[in-house]
Amino acid sequence: MSKADQHHRRGPSLPDDVVAGPCPHLSEFRARHGAAPFRSLRECIHVRPPGRASVRRDPKEVTVCGACGQAPPRLYACLECAAVSCSLHAPSHAAESPGHAIAVDVNRAELFCCLCGDQVYDPDLDATVVLACGGGSSLRPPPPENLRKRRRVDYRPWDPDLKERVLISKNSTPLPDPNDGVSSSDLPLGLKGLNNLGNTCFMNSVLQALLHTPPFRNYFLSDQHNRYFCQQKNRGKKNEGSNSNKNLRICLACDMDAMFSAVFSGNRMAYSPARFLYSWWQHAANLASYEQQDAHEFFISTLDGIHEKVVKDKRKPHTQGSGDCCIAHRVFSGILRSDVMCTSCGFTSTTYDPCVDISLDLEPNHGSSAKTTPTKANNSCNGGTEAMSSSQSSSVATLIGCLDRFTRPERLGSDQKFFCQQCQVRQESLKQMSIRKLPLVSCFHIKRFEHSPVRKMSRKVDRYLQFPLSLDMAPYLSSSILRGRFGNRIFSFEGDELDASDEFSSEFELFAVVTHTGKLDAGHYVTYLRLSNQWYKCDDAWITRVNEHIVRAAQVYMMFYVQKMLYYKASEELVTS
Amino acid sequence: MSTKPVFHKTNKSHPWRASIKRPPTPDAEEDQDREPTLQEIINIKLIESGEKEKLKELLRERLIECGWRDEMKALCRAFTRKKGRDNVTVDDLVRVITPKGRASVPDSVKAELLQRIRAFLQTAAL
Repeated sequence: MSKADQHHRRGPSLPDDVVAGPCPHLSEFRARHGAAPFRSLRECIHVRPPGRASVRRDPKEVTVCGACGQAPPRLYACLECAAVSCSLHAPSHAAESPGHAIAVDVNRAELFCCLCGDQVYDPDLDATVVLACGGGSSLRPPPPENLRKRRRVDYRPWDPDLKERVLISKNSTPLPDPNDGVSSSDLPLGLKGLNNLGNTCFMNSVLQALLHTPPFRNYFLSDQHNRYFCQQKNRGKKNEGSNSNKNLRICLACDMDAMFSAVFSGNRMAYSPARFLYSWWQHAANLASYEQQDAHEFFISTLDGIHEKVVKDKRKPHTQGSGDCCIAHRVFSGILRSDVMCTSCGFTSTTYDPCVDISLDLEPNHGSSAKTTPTKANNSCNGGTEAMSSSQSSSVATLIGCLDRFTRPERLGSDQKFFCQQCQVRQESLKQMSIRKLPLVSCFHIKRFEHSPVRKMSRKVDRYLQFPLSLDMAPYLSSSILRGRFGNRIFSFEGDELDASDEFSSEFELFAVVTHTGKLDAGHYVTYLRLSNQWYKCDDAWITRVNEHIVRAAQVYMMFYVQKMLYYKASEELVTS
Repeated sequence: MSTKPVFHKTNKSHPWRASIKRPPTPDAEEDQDREPTLQEIINIKLIESGEKEKLKELLRERLIECGWRDEMKALCRAFTRKKGRDNVTVDDLVRVITPKGRASVPDSVKAELLQRIRAFLQTAAL
């Protein structure tokens, strides 16, 4: 079997309802010649990084239209006779000579049917182009090993049997009846204010978000980290460890467990997270003070604290980004892919890094294009209003815009030349980020604090950011970014690395927003929670129901999105029945 | 004019092989007893020096930075949604967005490109 066929069979191509099949002219061409003409183009393909492929019989050739001698942007070379025509003359070439319908766009290496007047796709041509661009998976580093596929299993609803019912009733106490005449009975369970213990709104805001992070909440509420067992274990270890005597009884996960119990108890009195604060101070000693801290820094530090304690206990070997180590990483950990491409030879160096959140730069203002389009677009044909609204909204920053920026190829400055292994010299390069594995919960951190090392000052960027309630992360996945890098291809050459469930679980739903008001050193954090499509403002000890427009008017600093659909994977551990 | 041998390796039967002996642009060559136009000369010089490729890259970067490309994408999407995905060809899209595209290129981008071209023409000593 040919190499191109293998690639095609191995990877899933785009689903059939997305890509139309070949046109009759392409089918006829393939019936006559098979895949040979596409593969033989290999020598004629010249690649300009980051993946722009052009087709030239002779690299120095100046391509012009055979009929008119012009060199307009779109030139097509007939695959039968190599005659070059511009888009005006291509149909007549195809009409004159039967069987000469299929041509290749010389500047994009994409197929064009001159009779249909439209682009057509062929997996063998795509495979050839991608190979020529060096995109074959043989040149890629092996994917992170933790992404080996685990068989997906169907959801099986669970009902306790008789023995389990007895166990549950013996070991639990029912929550107080919410209809006991308490006025806030229509508020959902789990809403509880957090007292400010001295500039601790940075902590309270993140804790409120964590308390309502569905997978995180479910883990603690289903008693998977039982603080009594954990403390018993630690007491037993007291005689073992040499130093860390005081660390033995400090467990951020235990304090979280206590907080969940208190918050979901139904009692509406505000809770003082003093114990948690003390434990966190032990963990992040450098941040231990009554000064205002950064909420994002607290978030990272807390996840790290939960991880450290758990890993020390279980001594489980874990691969980065797999989330097998602790609940913090199971929920928040994803994998980012970074590609650095040499601009002269196209050699790409790829690295994978785990991450627990994504920090996004705020887009700069698009001054110039917003200015010119409204006046001129008015004079053009119908549909101009659509152009106007899209150009006017380009001056407002959106989360989608920030994500687009995050995954855009960025030209690294000439002072940051990268050593290319193929060229063996330092070359200018392009860097592109993409998401290899999506976490269960995506936390987006907006970089609102600008530090100017020159003036030794920091300031806050108060620019408004628009955000969606539902977010589809598919365009930012590595598979999408890579597919787009080589032009319009139907061929998915990273197929054997793709976990098929990525296709379905890229939709996210917003459930918490942490906002910041005020200046850098004198500001206040407030969290807005979205429960059953109702918004609740959590301002330290005060929780109120608010309308959506209040949330939209706020300056978002951190946004939490959870995957809409969660899938079960077959467990690797044997379950004893 | 003789054709340069392009393919060195022994080939399988690729349709393009058969046309090695045929010059790539036969018709244009028959008319080529006249002088090439200034436009054609400039185009050839731009390509041969590699400047055309650099200018194209620069233009691409600038148009992406200022959001022009995203606007064009949005226009294409809106048009495709209106006509129906299976009723749209590349030619249709080009025809529809070309006037709006040309009109909405920011002046700063035009100025920068013109400046680069002018500089090139001076050095090419035409």
